[in-house]
Amino acid sequence: MTLKEKLNLLEEVLDVEKDSLGENTLLEEIEQWDSIAVISTIAMLDNVFGKEAEPEKVKNARTVKDILDLME
Amino acid sequence: MASGIIRDVDIKGIACAVPEQIINNEDYASVFGKENVQKFINLTGVKTRYVAKDEQCTSDLCYVAAKELMKKLEWEPSSIDALILITQTPDYAVPATACVLQHRLGLSEDCIAFDINLGCSAYVYGICTVSSILTAHGLNRALLLVGDTSNFGINQNDSATAMIFGDGGSATALERCDGKSFTYFLKTKGSGFRSIMVPAGHARTRGKQIQDESLYQLSMNGSEIFAFTITDVYKSIESFFEEYGIDRNYIDMFVFHQANLFILKNLARKLKIPMDKVPVSIDRYGNTSGESIPLTLVDVLGNEKSREPVKVFMCGFGVGLSWGGILMDIDRSVCLPMIYTSDYFKGDDS
Repeated sequence: MTLKEKLNLLEEVLDVEKDSLGENTLLEEIEQWDSIAVISTIAMLDNVFGKEAEPEKVKNARTVKDILDLME
Repeated sequence: MASGIIRDVDIKGIACAVPEQIINNEDYASVFGKENVQKFINLTGVKTRYVAKDEQCTSDLCYVAAKELMKKLEWEPSSIDALILITQTPDYAVPATACVLQHRLGLSEDCIAFDINLGCSAYVYGICTVSSILTAHGLNRALLLVGDTSNFGINQNDSATAMIFGDGGSATALERCDGKSFTYFLKTKGSGFRSIMVPAGHARTRGKQIQDESLYQLSMNGSEIFAFTITDVYKSIESFFEEYGIDRNYIDMFVFHQANLFILKNLARKLKIPMDKVPVSIDRYGNTSGESIPLTLVDVLGNEKSREPVKVFMCGFGVGLSWGGILMDIDRSVCLPMIYTSDYFKGDDS
């Protein structure tokens, strides 16, 4: 999956505008980044990448890149 | 894994009672904002819930369910050897509410009665515990009562807990029956005890002056519970199916604890089972804690007359953390229709 595809996937999960996220976007600046978004992100990491993400790691993520790193 | 086959016990009847007061989650728009409420409804699936008024306790709902069930089965009170109540919302700190119910239901003094403190996993633990008691003690009949009035002590300003729970009480009649058996597993992960918790109000905070009122209210870590379900719970179900050579394609219904719709869908996806085999009651009744499995059975089978067996896998998971599963055949006609009641016990001087 390319970087752009990963960003588009995260945009879909967070229900934000397409191509609005960059690696350095701060999650706290995204209005939709709340407890429900954390759960949706954990589900996406499991479903698409087969990753058992630790909830604390997702919750404590600061930037979009922190989430992208969890996809690896 | 604590697992095995329990023989010679059968479920003879299941009844569920919910309060008459219905709450519509859309009405919370004024508290949390319309968009947030819609987002919550979309994720959890909870549109309406039945909520007890202050004077109606879990025991009152279980009492009504038990009375109706005993009437339908024509079980004399004196014929019941054990009554086990599983709840996290008992009537009193002391004594066990099961003792009060033994009295109210007019059961014999030869009856075993005690409470167990479990929530989401209560039904599965209850069926296993009660069945073991019947076989180990050579007893014949028992009532398993499982219920909660989870909305008691909820922070109405916490969107994670204010709109999720429904109240209710169930009664399940179990009887010795040669030739019947079921397969089960039970598990515990106490390291996650903080995931769903009421931190204050009991012995651990004895002698402390606690100003923060929220510590007396239920706190829930949604992301931890979600991760626990799609990893620990999912893996145990897979191991259980493998250990006992269970082919999931032959199971008619997967009755999961109604935690929230998102969890149900993800668990079904991981287990590769179609959602049309996963009955959903949370949309109308909310998360009814330990009662959610019998309530879902009643919701689906409550008006069935056929005695044809249905192969059911029940799985409860959550607070504790505690979880377990049971695979058993039950009669389609085993459930009474849903009971709606506002009755409560007035014989209490307090």
